[in-house]
Amino acid sequence: MSESQSILKLYGTDRSTCCQRVKVVAYEKELDLSLEAVDMMGKEHKQDAYLAKQPFGQIPYLDDNGFTLFQSRAICRYIAMKYPNQGTKLLPDASDIKAVSIFEQAINIEQADFDPNASGLTMQKLFLPKRGGKTDEEQLKKHVDGLRMKLDGFERILSKQKYLSGDEISLADLFALPYGTKVEICYPDFFHDSSRPNVRRWWDAISNRQSWKRVLVEAE
Amino acid sequence: MSTTVHGAHMAACTQLVKVVAYEKDLKVDVIGFDFAGAEHKSAAWLEIQPFGQIPYLEEDDFKLYESRAIARYLATKYAEQGVKLLPDPKDLKAMALADQSMSVEMSNFYPYVSGIAYQAVFMPRFGKETDQVALEKHRSDLKGKIDGFERIFAKQDYLGGKSIGLADLYCLPYGTMAEKVFPELFNDPAKPNFARWWKAVSTRPTWKRVLEESN
Repeated sequence: MSESQSILKLYGTDRSTCCQRVKVVAYEKELDLSLEAVDMMGKEHKQDAYLAKQPFGQIPYLDDNGFTLFQSRAICRYIAMKYPNQGTKLLPDASDIKAVSIFEQAINIEQADFDPNASGLTMQKLFLPKRGGKTDEEQLKKHVDGLRMKLDGFERILSKQKYLSGDEISLADLFALPYGTKVEICYPDFFHDSSRPNVRRWWDAISNRQSWKRVLVEAE
Repeated sequence: MSTTVHGAHMAACTQLVKVVAYEKDLKVDVIGFDFAGAEHKSAAWLEIQPFGQIPYLEEDDFKLYESRAIARYLATKYAEQGVKLLPDPKDLKAMALADQSMSVEMSNFYPYVSGIAYQAVFMPRFGKETDQVALEKHRSDLKGKIDGFERIFAKQDYLGGKSIGLADLYCLPYGTMAEKVFPELFNDPAKPNFARWWKAVSTRPTWKRVLEESN
């Protein structure tokens, strides 16, 4: 890390998708994160002490020298804003209102047009069976078909520009990595469909970044 | 000042843009589209809005889609007029808390209230059957999330802190539809802080105006 950095404590686990989202952004910004383990099995995240920091009983939350913040995407935005001059540029220039708006559009595309089906698919195909539950095949099909349709929209965008908000990578692209990777585990060729060559190019570019590879190694 | 939006007065995402615009003292021209003729799925529309959805904003050559991005653009561009809906962008911690509140809306409120609207309002409207199991799951999940909102509103008046912000307004369109289906969730004596917040936000004159214009 270059600029003097306060200790950023992230409360969560290395395997949690939402923690991975914060980690990949921190690594792109060349920041050190101190991961403070939360005892999920022991339901630590549902105890009153935890709920005082994260009222929905979820991981992660960040503690930056006493300032606490939850919601992984908000944490990512905060650290990208706090350390603009080191690591990868992940935010547009704040004085360029049109660039900022296109960035916000991309942020919403990930959260509204990618995440619901990608996380829903992951829940049905991966998480539920692991927890001793049963896949609802109808729900799974809805998410698979839904995500494919949304990727047609991604293909239109990415045929004109390299990344979701333009020709440079931003937070919006990185936000897709945790659940996108889970989708790929469930369906290895999901992002390599021959009808969507630009989605393929984009997915290969973001999923092969060193920062993401490091996150995955730490999750093993 | 006037802004042009391609959408429909009764559509939730258009309503979201309108309520924010009205809070900012803006006029909104809503230009309709040929829904029956699937204009929003035409090649020309997909060039502008690649997911074939409404609304999108048009300002000269500049086009923007995703209702929350449009709302945030208006709140930023017209920061100096109407109600203050975003903190000073240079205030890092205040912006972080605002971003936290907007993310809370999108992950802990929107999926459940829109799911309720989809099953109980839209499915019948399209002549299809409500999936009662899915509807009950959305209701039960929303009830669980309200516990989290109750904790937040026990300490502060709005999602982002002392004053109203974009996140509170984002809750209105689908929240209002869900309230019609399960009013007891929005006015539960066991969740007085959540009920207080919902009443404060949903009775704002700007929202009443949006609802009137939706008929």
